[in-house]
Parts: sequence; C-alpha cells; structure tokens
Amino acid sequence: MKIGEILGKIDRRIVFGFMAIVVIVPFFFPLNVTGKVAPPSQQLFDAVEEIQPDSKPLLISIDFDPQSMPELYPMLKAILRHAFSRNVRVCMMALWVTGVGLGEAALNEVAPEYGKVHGKDYVYLGWKPGFAAVVLGMGKSIPETFPTDQYGTPLESIPMMRGVKNFRDIPYAISISAGDPGALTLWIPYVQSRFGQKLGTGMTAVSAADAYPYLQSGQLTGLLGGMKGAAEYEHLVAEAGYSEASKPATQAMDSQSMAHLAIILLIVLGNIGFILTKGRK
Amino acid sequence: MMKQGIPRLLCLVAGIVMIVQFFIPHPISEKIFSESLRWVRIISAFALVLGVRSITVHHGTRIIRKSSGWGYSLVALVAMVVTAVIGLFGGVDPHATALLPTSIGGFSFHLQVLYANLMVPLGATMFSILAFYMASAAYRSFRARNKEATVLLVAAFIVMIGMVPIGSAIWPKLPDIAQWLLNVPSMAAKRGILFGIALGSVATSLKIILGIERGWLGGGK
Amino acid sequence: MMHLSPDLWVWVGALLTLFVFSFLFGDNPFYKFAEHLYVGVSVGYMIAIYYWNFFKPDLIEPLFGRGELILIVPLILGLCYLAIFIQKFSWVVRIPMGFVLGWGSGIAIPAVLQANVIKQIQGSLITSQTLAHWNTFVWSIVVLIGVITTVIYFFFSREQKGSLKVVANIGIIYIMIGFGASFGYTVMARISLLLGRLQFLLRDWLGVIH
Repeated sequence: MKIGEILGKIDRRIVFGFMAIVVIVPFFFPLNVTGKVAPPSQQLFDAVEEIQPDSKPLLISIDFDPQSMPELYPMLKAILRHAFSRNVRVCMMALWVTGVGLGEAALNEVAPEYGKVHGKDYVYLGWKPGFAAVVLGMGKSIPETFPTDQYGTPLESIPMMRGVKNFRDIPYAISISAGDPGALTLWIPYVQSRFGQKLGTGMTAVSAADAYPYLQSGQLTGLLGGMKGAAEYEHLVAEAGYSEASKPATQAMDSQSMAHLAIILLIVLGNIGFILTKGRK
Repeated sequence: MMKQGIPRLLCLVAGIVMIVQFFIPHPISEKIFSESLRWVRIISAFALVLGVRSITVHHGTRIIRKSSGWGYSLVALVAMVVTAVIGLFGGVDPHATALLPTSIGGFSFHLQVLYANLMVPLGATMFSILAFYMASAAYRSFRARNKEATVLLVAAFIVMIGMVPIGSAIWPKLPDIAQWLLNVPSMAAKRGILFGIALGSVATSLKIILGIERGWLGGGK
Repeated sequence: MMHLSPDLWVWVGALLTLFVFSFLFGDNPFYKFAEHLYVGVSVGYMIAIYYWNFFKPDLIEPLFGRGELILIVPLILGLCYLAIFIQKFSWVVRIPMGFVLGWGSGIAIPAVLQANVIKQIQGSLITSQTLAHWNTFVWSIVVLIGVITTVIYFFFSREQKGSLKVVANIGIIYIMIGFGASFGYTVMARISLLLGRLQFLLRDWLGVIH
C-alpha cells in the first residue's frame, strides 16, 4: 500500500526536475524521428503552392506576439521561405500591436536569403488599430486602410501593390493566430464569410482543436496546429527543395515527443497511486 | 438622463445602422459603412490613453507613497518612458534619419532592437514556465474517477501521442486515429459548443444595442 | 563545444530569460524586475507604434495636412476618453464607448450568424458528396449525431430524464472527447513554449547545439 502513497505524492520539485531533464536531453542526443504530415498542414502548403509567382500577393497577418512566439514564429518563417522561393509576392500586416516587430524580424531574416526586395517582392503594411474595422476596411480598400506601409512609404508608390485594391486581389490569406483577434474571431466571420476570401491559418495548439469545424465546412483551407504544425511545414518546404535553412520547430520535436510521453507517465503514475490508495480506503 | 441617454442612443443608432447596411447594400449605406470604419479605427485608438493612464497612475502612486516594492514600479515607468522616447524620436525605420540617433558606434538601441532583445525574451519566457506547472498539475489532479473522466483522459493521450512524431514510430496508425478524433467526434462537440456560443453572443449583442445590457455604463446616473 | 554568443544583446536576453525562469524557485526580486521591465517596455513600444502607425498617418496628416475636416467628429469622440481624468465629466467616456459597442454589436450579429451558424449547419448536412464514399457517409452521420446531442446537452438545462438523458449522455461523451483533444493540444502548446526558450539559451546564447 505504501507504493500507492508514494506514487500519489511525488514532490513538485522532482516533477519539475524530471521535466527539465526530459526536454533538455533530446537536444543533445536527437532521435530524429520524422512524423507524418497531417492533412490540414498539407492543405495549407498546397494552397500556397497554387499561388501564381510574380502576381497578386499572399497576405499574411501577424495576429500574435512574443508570448506565443516559439509556436508561431517558425511557421511564419517557413511560410515566407515557401513563398519567396517560388517568387510569390508577400503582403504582410499585423493586428496585434505587440506583434509588429515579429513581422519585421521575420522579413529581415528570410527576405535576404532569397534576394527579395522590399516594395518589389514584399511589403510590410504594419499595424492599425480597430481590429474588425481594419479587416472590413481592407475588404473595401487596402490602400485606404493602409495609406502607407510600416515605414511611411505611400502604398501607391510601391510597385507590387499597384492593382491590389481589396480582398479580390488577394489569392490567399493566412492569419498566424494566437487567439482574439485572430483567425477564428475575426478573419472567418468578417473576411472569409463576408468577402469569400480563401483563408488558411497557423494557430497555437491551445486553440487548434477549435478550428476543425471551420476546416470541415471549408471556411478554412489549411491549418497548422502549434509547433508540430510548424515542423510539418518546415519539412514540406525542405522536401520540395525550397529551403536549406535550419528548422527550429523540427529540431524541437524530439523533446516535444519525450515531454508528452513523460506527462502521460506522470498521469499514469498519479492514477496508479490513486487506485491503490482508494482500494485501501 | 443625459449621462445615460446620449450614450445609449448612440449605441442603438450605430448598432441598427450596421445591421441594416449588411442586408441593404445601397451606395448610401456603403458610404456610411466606409466612413464608420475610419471613425471606429480613430476612436478605438484613443483607448490607448486609458491603458497608459492606468499604468502610470498605478505605478506612480506606489512610487509616491513609497509602498513596498516601489522600486519595481520605478523600473516599469522608466522602461516605458525610455522605450517610448526612443520609439517616438528614433522612428520605426532604422534606415531613415530621425531626431534621435539610435546607435552609438556599433551598438544599436533602435526600437526594433529593444523589441527583439527585451520584449521578445521576456514575453516568450513568461508563459514557458507554465510547462512545469502544467506537468505538475496534470500529475496531481488528472484522475480517471469516472466514465467521463476516463474518456477525456484517453482522448487526451491519443492526441498527445498521435500528434507528435514519436506517435508514428510507436504505431503508424496512431497519427491517423488522432486525426480522426479531431476531425469527427471532437469536431462535432466543438461545433455544438460553437452554436451555443454564437447564439449567446448574438443575444448579448442585441441586448447591448437595445439597451437591455447596461453593464458597460458602469452604474451611476 | 561551447560557442558563447559575442552579442551583448543576446546576453541581455539570456539573463532576462533566466530571471523569468527563476520564478520556478518561488517569487523573487529577479522575477519581479523582469515582470515590471516587460510591462514598461511593452507599453512604451505600444506608444511609439500607435504614433507612427496611426496618429501621424491616419489622424494628424489627413486632418491638419490635407484638411479632411470630417475627421474632427471621430477626433472629438476619441478625445471624450480623456474625460476620465476629470471626475465630474467622467460619464462622457460612455459616449465613445456607446458608439463603438453599438457599432461592434451591429456588425457582429450578421457576421456571427453567417459564419458560426449558417455555414456550420451547412457543413453538418448530409449531401450527395458525403454519400459518395461509405466512410465519409458514416463519419458524417457520426458528426451529425455528435452535433445534435451536444446541442441538446447544453440547451436543455432542466432535469434530464428518460430518452433526453440517454441523448444527453451521448452528448457528454462527445464533449469529453472534445475537451480531451483540447487538453492534449494544450499540453503540446505549453511544452513548445518552453522548448522555444531552451533553444534560445542552448543555441543562440551558449552555442552548445546548432
């Protein structure tokens, strides 16, 4: 019976220490297990793959901030690499004011890898206040909603934005989303439903399960769920020969796998302890 | 009367006009809608003032009263002022000339540099420590006490193993089962809940427009 | 091999990361410092972005540069927020709030009905497409049962007896699977956030992994 009590009452510090070891060790001794690509991730990849090169831009919205960066930032970079390697133009914007710098950092890092130039191959519109008022405004007119880009250049003087008036000129939009405002609360009701915009999303794993009804109904074409979704996208981009850059999400997947097994083990131990002590009571 | 009447009337009119414009796409309603979008963007931006005020008052009071931990409040206020000054006078474009230089020699303290090296590590780490607390909480409280809890536990295990690479190494069918779980039963439940939330939010919106829900008026006359 | 970062800013970032991690050993001055620094820098950053991305291009320039006088109306409504500083006139704050709330509610009603009710009902219907293959047909029946029983479980808050109880019990099973899936994904999310920070420490700062 004593075993039951021990298993049911492992000290919190031991749990913390155990978790720390489980997540750190695989970084030094990688298993390099490659998982399957989930169909919603493949769908997102295919949708970006369908965009015409040197034509109307892919729209990416930064709807997150540093607090969910480890999950979403690798997605953003992988999607940018996919687009740039295929010469797909990118129009980026932000709905989270504290996320503006992440968009800038990603573009500064990835664009030079492919020799892409601001204004010709990509544009960063930056951020505007008003959430629904911003995206609804873009449905009417993008240049009226964002008269200038993030650095104050008037949109009409930016070559790649000529002829991009509203969502009709956006072949595909991706909201990289950490909650509200984001894909489910803003882009689906105000953009996809109202303007028929083809929409995909990269989401934090916390809300990924909530996106499935929209995936099934066709309101979403493509979904990356959490860091695993990012790793899948990195894999697809590398496999297609679009990028040889390092793959941070993929690198973390061994630790991710081990941590999940560890938590399952902890829950099982807790339950064994629970059952054994309950039997005695 | 005026103190509640004017805001409620404005709320009613704005709400009804916005519903009507959705169903009647006429040039006039389109024009009103477009202009309203600009107005809302401008008005909502001023909410920043409220946020800055509450932070300044909260920390300012602690500093003035020298209440315990006032030094941390000083850190917050100084950080806010310094970052704002660098951002406002140094600009957002590192290549443009600005009132305030944002680098000394090779050392840059441009707004984006502060963002990438202060906000990013702090923000990203704040929630990362939850991993430890979650593991500990799951261990202590996640018990298969009854049929429902057992179903929850099994579904969680399938998603936890099936959605990471090790899942397919353990059993190649696991990722497919996890995906099925998300696509079929979990999706059905989420959709049912979604209906409830959607109808609830529509009801709340109607109550706000019609003045039945008055919580936002914050009491008083 | 260790390849410590030569970048001073990376060291600052690493130190701050460790300050936040120190909370695992209990609340302490290092964590408190990091927490307050975060709040301060974030608000300062927001002030700068609000000015450059909004106040300058969308208000100051069109109003004072191009003379778009209509903007005086939203400007006055926005300035009403400042009334909160004067106790006697603090009720004036309700005017812009009333407008924005009414506007938001007005646009939300049709949008939510369209996206989260009508389109979702359409997605649950059995169509000729779902009849094409036996498995899509079976699963769409399973989905339909799940949606209906979940809705029944939530909407009938009176005591559930007889056949209603059976239906509601089926609903509970679906809901528990849904919650379980969300829990599994939440575990994934929390671990990922930790891994991102470990990568920063081990790769960008210490240079012990690549």
